Amino acid sequence: MTIKGGYCQKILEMDLSKNNKHVINVSDNFAVKYVGGRGWGARIIWENLEHIKDPLSPSNIVVIAPGPLSGLYLPASGKTSFSSISPATGLYADSNMGGMFAVEIKQAGYDAIIIRGRAEKLSYLFIDDDCVEVRNAKKYKGLGCVETERQLKEDLGDETLRIATIGPAGENLVKFSCINSEWSRNAGRTGMGAIFGSKNLKAIVIRGTKDLPVFDLTRLVKLGEHAYKTLKSHRLFEFWQRQGLMTVVDYANAAGIMPTHNFKDTCFDDADKINGEVMETFYKIGDTACYACPMACGNVNLVKEGKYAGTVTEGPEYETACMFGSNVGINDFAAILKANYLCDEYGVDTISTGNLIAAVIEAYEKGIITLDELDGMALHWGDSDSIMELIRKIGEREGIGNVIAEGSYGLIKKWPAMKQLISQVKGLEQSSYDVRSAITMALAYGTSDIGGHHARAWTIAKELEVGADWTLDEKAAIVIYQQTVRPLFDMLGVCRLPWVELGFNESAYAEFYSAATGIETSLEELLKRSEAVYNITRAINIKLGATIEDDFPSWRCFNEPIKTGPLVGKKLDREEYTKILKLYYNKRGWDENGVPMLKTLDRLELTDIKI
Amino acid sequence: MRKLTVIPERCSGCRLCELACAINAFGVNNPKKAKLRVFSLYPHPVIKKPIVCNQCGIPKCSENCPTGAIYIEDGIVKIDEKTCVSCQMCVTSCPFGAIFVHQEIAVPFKCELCGGNPKCVEVCPKKAIIYTPEHILGQSARLAGVLKYAHMKEVEYFEHGIVKKLRYADIEKDKTSGDNNDN
Repeated sequence: MTIKGGYCQKILEMDLSKNNKHVINVSDNFAVKYVGGRGWGARIIWENLEHIKDPLSPSNIVVIAPGPLSGLYLPASGKTSFSSISPATGLYADSNMGGMFAVEIKQAGYDAIIIRGRAEKLSYLFIDDDCVEVRNAKKYKGLGCVETERQLKEDLGDETLRIATIGPAGENLVKFSCINSEWSRNAGRTGMGAIFGSKNLKAIVIRGTKDLPVFDLTRLVKLGEHAYKTLKSHRLFEFWQRQGLMTVVDYANAAGIMPTHNFKDTCFDDADKINGEVMETFYKIGDTACYACPMACGNVNLVKEGKYAGTVTEGPEYETACMFGSNVGINDFAAILKANYLCDEYGVDTISTGNLIAAVIEAYEKGIITLDELDGMALHWGDSDSIMELIRKIGEREGIGNVIAEGSYGLIKKWPAMKQLISQVKGLEQSSYDVRSAITMALAYGTSDIGGHHARAWTIAKELEVGADWTLDEKAAIVIYQQTVRPLFDMLGVCRLPWVELGFNESAYAEFYSAATGIETSLEELLKRSEAVYNITRAINIKLGATIEDDFPSWRCFNEPIKTGPLVGKKLDREEYTKILKLYYNKRGWDENGVPMLKTLDRLELTDIKI
Repeated sequence: MRKLTVIPERCSGCRLCELACAINAFGVNNPKKAKLRVFSLYPHPVIKKPIVCNQCGIPKCSENCPTGAIYIEDGIVKIDEKTCVSCQMCVTSCPFGAIFVHQEIAVPFKCELCGGNPKCVEVCPKKAIIYTPEHILGQSARLAGVLKYAHMKEVEYFEHGIVKKLRYADIEKDKTSGDNNDN
């Protein structure tokens, strides 16, 4: 087995403490076994795990990795994974961003960048093909993400540089701060921004000019062209370009799974004021796409009138529209845009921020948090002014913002009663789907390796549509299958949306992989490697002290039935959930505490993983 | 004669045109070797614009070429690699920046319309690059002018208790008469 393309087979390792650059040559075996992206990240973190003390200490590492398909002629090949140990959850974490950053890393000749240590002063990493330098970033201290990127481009005199940067929130170690690129591409979840901040790393600036290695370009182009044609001929293609993920608002609201008023309700009366239709009619001024992607999910929106006039941002997509719309009771699309803009500029995750602000509003309503503790700012559902002020306070860690900045664990520590109010798993705030009506989705959140996020498995629509007669066994199986397919996209360095949204066949990716690398590989083989990576991340979490309790969804799911909407009365049964969780462990080949068994690790050729 | 023209408002900035162009022209997966470039400026104004060669009738690149390496053939501006000394005068003198260089390629390169079947046009998922007969050029501006003039508006009214809609052209006074607007 010899790699003939797809990989540059080089990792750039940068130790910021020693200002020491080191290029690692990657063996064929390692490259293929862990595929790339999140797979490489997980493996490299496993190998360094015993040296990592606190997530925000210099001992933590962050692995920035596109995949073997990144930058190639196939749909949406612009994904970069960031893997590390999360300051929010204390466990394994990864988050990825689209845009152009992945392509540039690969064009500079690297498959991945590992960042270690901590720079003495606020710095940025400058990579121009083989030239790698750590430069002073004092000038950019405190600047927002968009502004930092704009100024860096201006100062370096090149508009075509690709830049990933953190905002003030990342510098201030806000536990759900993100890494931002090209205005609004974010590696949003799990607090990657804070890890950059803890390393005194304000930004990575990169320019690459090299050819990407491809074994059989003719075959790849043929496959790519077929893929583009398939996507373009999908009946929803044109609609998708127009509305992107905003289409989900109407679906989620009608289905009764759209978190509203801090996950209390599942339908929002004013959903038709914050949906894709409203965006398209009144706000949208342009489209944005990630690299080589025909789908153009990104919507550039402008507020033309009212108190938020002049706000221009790319976004929101469904998650943001829900978290800063229904979940905090805002029915003004312009306010959602403003919140989206502020989050991007401060560099905080819109999901976590919206989720936590909603929890704080409810806590205030219930008298858990006093007016004094809110710095005298009374909070109400839909009060957009105070919500904007809260985003600022979080970004700058001021007053109540300083507490919220510690994430859900921080809030629960200060006000233990909030444990019942915050929807989170493993300390990561849950994204925008209510799971009380769909046990598979609850299981998906519960067993997600990074915490309450839907990236690993999204089964809710299917269960609600056709899952009424599924047995628990089938339900556990579908979650596992999704948790194997979906992370594979993050390993290959491509986006999963062509597959999720426009029904593009996943087996095409095995063909892409074979054409690029020259190693004929089947989808089953790739899925097996993805499963192996899931076991590595599980092993990391077990080593870091995760227990079965961390695989449960939030308190509300079991204790408060849905009050309104089409799924009224639904809640999860703890016993049934425990049962499906055990089934899930069993199917995964994990013991009853969720620890991967030796025979499982054997089957996945992970014999060197000792838990 | 047909030419490339772009509609920046449609461009999503995906750069698929660059990639397809480079593969077609040089047989490598490297958008930095494309004969056109998508420029994204942000955050203000939010615009993405593919930069393509206009195949000028009186090309500045040719005018400024010290060795006479740039010539026009069948309306297409071409660089003769044998005569070119790669001084890159053409690159800097093109008013649109539509000639490119790459360290691995000996001489500057530019769009030659793919023999009449431009790849960028074929792949663009947003139809932002168009290959169009010369006489159509400028038509979008003409059309925009007419639309701006017309300012179609909609009014709702009731007729026998039913809501009806009427569309009309809201022609601005100052635009029609050329008089000074007295508000």
